[in-house]
Amino acid sequence: MSRKTKEAVQGVIYILPSFVLILIFCIVPIFMSGFFSFTDYNIMNAPEFVGLDNYKKMFQDSYVRDAAKNTLLYVVMTVPVQTLLALTLAAFLAEKMRNKTGGFLRSVMFIPVIASAVTAGTIWRIILNTDGGFLNNILNFFHISSVNWLGSTQTSLLSICIVAVWKNVGYFLVIYYAGIMGIQKELYEAAKVDGATSIQQFTKITLPILKPITYLVVTLGIIWSFQVFDLAYLMTGGGPGHSSVTLVMGIYNAAFKQYKMGYACAMAMFLLIMIIIINVIEDLFFKEKREAK
Amino acid sequence: MNEKKQKWTVFSILGLLLLILFAAICIAPFIYMAIMSFTKSTTLMLHMKDINFTDFTNFQYVLGKSGFIRALINSIIVVFCSCLFNCIIASMAAYGFTKKKFPGREVIFRIYLLTLMIPGQVTMIPVFIMMNKAGLTNTYFALIVIILNAFGVFLIRQFMDSVPDELLEAAKVDGCPEYRIFIQIVIPLIKPVLISLVVFTFVTSWNDFLWPLVSTSDSSMYTLTVALSLLKTQYQTNYGLIMAGATVSFLFPFVMYVFLQKQFVEGIALSGIKG
Repeated sequence: MSRKTKEAVQGVIYILPSFVLILIFCIVPIFMSGFFSFTDYNIMNAPEFVGLDNYKKMFQDSYVRDAAKNTLLYVVMTVPVQTLLALTLAAFLAEKMRNKTGGFLRSVMFIPVIASAVTAGTIWRIILNTDGGFLNNILNFFHISSVNWLGSTQTSLLSICIVAVWKNVGYFLVIYYAGIMGIQKELYEAAKVDGATSIQQFTKITLPILKPITYLVVTLGIIWSFQVFDLAYLMTGGGPGHSSVTLVMGIYNAAFKQYKMGYACAMAMFLLIMIIIINVIEDLFFKEKREAK
Repeated sequence: MNEKKQKWTVFSILGLLLLILFAAICIAPFIYMAIMSFTKSTTLMLHMKDINFTDFTNFQYVLGKSGFIRALINSIIVVFCSCLFNCIIASMAAYGFTKKKFPGREVIFRIYLLTLMIPGQVTMIPVFIMMNKAGLTNTYFALIVIILNAFGVFLIRQFMDSVPDELLEAAKVDGCPEYRIFIQIVIPLIKPVLISLVVFTFVTSWNDFLWPLVSTSDSSMYTLTVALSLLKTQYQTNYGLIMAGATVSFLFPFVMYVFLQKQFVEGIALSGIKG
């Protein structure tokens, strides 16, 4: 065997285990999902081809419509808030607190990131309890009347959004902080010589340089929001009514509560297409930036 | 010296207040959780007399009576195996992709990267159907095998460049067999990135909820997240017990975070910067 062939064989052997697993558990399932989405399938009987029925049904289903609406609202409520908050906190940390105290504050803000959504949801469900919950106690202390956070259709989704922001900010903060630390100091010194104020420095130097990071933070934020399940399942279970159901909850219920695998796959394909579209838009933004350079 | 002194304006004091306030909001729920887990009261009102930090009744009860201990052991087994399994398979693949030339190498790697875009919720149903038909639901295998994804390969591949080709060549010339080159030279050199991958895998696997929820129906196979999510239906308003369960589930990642902070932030933060 020549050296080249030997090397090629070795290479294939090294990647084979991962390739087989990715093929079986990621690539094949995508096509299966696509196929099942055109069928009526309850796992027990063979899948029965129904054409576009699942998709037609899906767009008329009030549950799916509410889930899509909630997911969109969830994106609108969480992504801007967590992005702005992470950026502001990171900017202050990088500007004034490049020391141990700053490091400690960053570590503390990362703690919600490492907790599972289940742990976070469990704690917050109790904190947000209407009668005697910690948050309402604080509100009462300031003579504000108790809010039925999780039990009212007005606030159930909002409550989940607040907890999601609380949990995500630390993550995006770390990404922003690394980005700001990577900016050359000379840029700021030159700006200072020219008499730029710190706000001008921030808007004219920091923000433009951080643009690719902002795209990343926003795209990730949107993609995570589309996939939200754990928090909503734990805190409200989708209720009251349909007020906090999400797309993934719809998939879960259809597949594992009602055993409508085909219908659930149609919803999953819808989710996949949404995520691909977001990724493509992000890519286009990046390309534009690269060409501008 | 004077130049280095930072100016504290009203603006920056507001910033500092915001930082401290947010840090407090980040940590407060966990402190509340820890305190609640030591109370016997079933009301939400905290009275100092109800709090007894030497009383581990809630923990004993949760771990003993509710099958929580079984879930804890399951989680430990699943997490340990997924970390090991992910590290071995991902470093093999990363080594193959960077140090071995074979036809189709670039294309296959592009495919790996594309799979990173696909959310688990989309592949979950067909994977469940396959596992179900193969009789593999309610097994450790089902819980572990799902953890591998292309992210580990991608992460280690970036680090492989720091392994010098000359070193591998020299070993080969000396007649060192291929498997020993990989195990004795490559693996020790990529140790730092393997730690990041372990941390990342640990957190993903420990915190995973949807897949264990779907793939286990037998309560003896539940993982911690599933068991914790069920406590609220089991114990209703016994908040002390529920919080004890939450504390147990949070303790492991938290202790690891305290010791491996840098790797945590790297391992987890990097997961977003892919593709």
